[in-house]
Amino acid sequence: MYKHALLTLVLLAGIVTAASAAQQQPCHAQRGMHVTLFGGVDDPDVLVWDSRNRLVNYGAGSTDTRRFLLPHAMLTRPGTRAVVESCVAGIVHQKFSMDADDAVGVLIVTGKFRGRYGWVSSSDLRGKGIPEAREPW
Amino acid sequence: MIRLPRLPRPVLRGAGTLTATAILAFALIIAVTGALMTRHAINVSFTEQMQIERAQLSLERMLKIQLDEENYVRAYVITRDPSDLDSYRAVSGQFQNERNTLAGILQREGLSDALGALEDYEMAHRDWHTQVANPMLRAPSTAVRELEKRGKMLVESQSGAARFIEQRLDRRNRDVLSSTQQQINNTLYQRMIWLVVFGLIAILLNGWRSRLTSALEDERLTTQTLQRAFRSEHVPLPNCRIGSAYGAASSHLAVGGDVFDVHQLSDRLGLIVIADVSGKGVDAAVLTAFIKFTIRGIALRRRDPGFILQEFNRAFPRTVGNPYLFVSMFVGILDTWTLRLDYASAGHDIAFVRRGKNVEQLAVTGPVLGVMEEPFDVKTLYLEDGDMIVLSTDGLTEARDSHGNFLEASGAMKWIAEEGEDPTQLAGRLIERARARSSNTMRDDVAVLAIAVKRPSALPPKRGTETGTTAGIEAIADV
Repeated sequence: MYKHALLTLVLLAGIVTAASAAQQQPCHAQRGMHVTLFGGVDDPDVLVWDSRNRLVNYGAGSTDTRRFLLPHAMLTRPGTRAVVESCVAGIVHQKFSMDADDAVGVLIVTGKFRGRYGWVSSSDLRGKGIPEAREPW
Repeated sequence: MIRLPRLPRPVLRGAGTLTATAILAFALIIAVTGALMTRHAINVSFTEQMQIERAQLSLERMLKIQLDEENYVRAYVITRDPSDLDSYRAVSGQFQNERNTLAGILQREGLSDALGALEDYEMAHRDWHTQVANPMLRAPSTAVRELEKRGKMLVESQSGAARFIEQRLDRRNRDVLSSTQQQINNTLYQRMIWLVVFGLIAILLNGWRSRLTSALEDERLTTQTLQRAFRSEHVPLPNCRIGSAYGAASSHLAVGGDVFDVHQLSDRLGLIVIADVSGKGVDAAVLTAFIKFTIRGIALRRRDPGFILQEFNRAFPRTVGNPYLFVSMFVGILDTWTLRLDYASAGHDIAFVRRGKNVEQLAVTGPVLGVMEEPFDVKTLYLEDGDMIVLSTDGLTEARDSHGNFLEASGAMKWIAEEGEDPTQLAGRLIERARARSSNTMRDDVAVLAIAVKRPSALPPKRGTETGTTAGIEAIADV
């Protein structure tokens, strides 16, 4: 009796895990991928954050929160090149948006901040295999 | 006893037509209402879409203004050209107007979350002015990276809010379209359902109508058959020219309660009958047949008009079984050799004799038949060469003019005097004039029988004594 219940629970847990894994989209940016930083048409500069959490908090935060976090960001020029070091899928939620971007850890390889590590939203990346960012925003 | 089948009543036909008309009218109302509702839904949807498009336009202008402001500030920092500063101030003044327009539409559309985003947008825009633009314009040479970062942050905030507002407007637009489509579909389905219901009712009514038409056709065939059987007719009599005409009150029923009959009883004697049965339609028509053949039968037995009426008066109530029915009748027996007419009239006063241009009315000799049993007097009249007996039913004397006045016997006599000598033409003309007097809406049938006599040049050889004659007829036999 107990064996049957246990088996059922295991099966259910397996189904739930498989379903959630199937729902989660993988990162487009893969480790080692060469990318270019580009914010958008109206303001192409990109903020590169010193930690993943600050990137996430900035995305979903209010103006005051953002202002408070701002000293922890580097403002890189558009076209700055970087190499992907890591990626966490779908954790950067923008305020007023149902969509979520990936948090991508990069090593900056050109420009003023060359050699610095940081975190950017996947919507600020351009490169082969990475979908175009939303336009015109 | 004569029993007639019940036929469909005209009131049922009228009710059917009324119901069909009502259903048709209702279907038309539904169709027109549906069309109006569809038009209204489209109109409302169009107005809302216009509002949403206006809001989207305002949002685009706000973004354009924001972009222009940034560009003019950057240009001024680089070039220090005062015209950039003027342009910056000019575009900044337009922002609030567009914001107010957008806020009004969002409020009207009930997009409260988009209104919240607009507030954030406005706040970020204001912060950008105070914290980024104004410091850069005040000290262009000291523009620092920190200001740029702040500017980047505020622009991103504005863009995020604008994106959200745009999405909400798009969704609202889709909702409006979907709602309108749904409303139009609902109206369409309702109209379809109603039309199917009306169609089914129409099919049912058509079936009912077909059955009714079939019943009416049966009635018409029955009537035609009866008409053929009971038609008033006359046979030629020696030394006589006979004309007759029948005018039916109802155009669709050419048989009624008026009957005339001219029947040859022997070589020299002719039976002349005209009668008017109270009542109308097929019931009365059936009685006319009864009258015609009964009178012939009695007349063959005894050629006395008084006896004929008396015998018929006895048989009539027992046969018909309806105490409310009565008959006015004129019966004459004409000796075509001597032109002697013996007649009896049961309340039938529309009987005339025309002599040249003089017309005389023949007297009534007893009450109408079916009321009481009484003997009927017989009167004798000796006709001259060219005299004409004109018998009619009361449809002639009761023809009304436009003021409702009857023609009366005097009027009928005047008409008879005015007509020619041909009995057929005279009978037809009397009917025509009666119809014209009543403006083609005759209320009663009219039967006219006209018999013009001619004195024989020579009497045929005597072939024996007439049997079953009256005293007058015996006298004729003696001639």
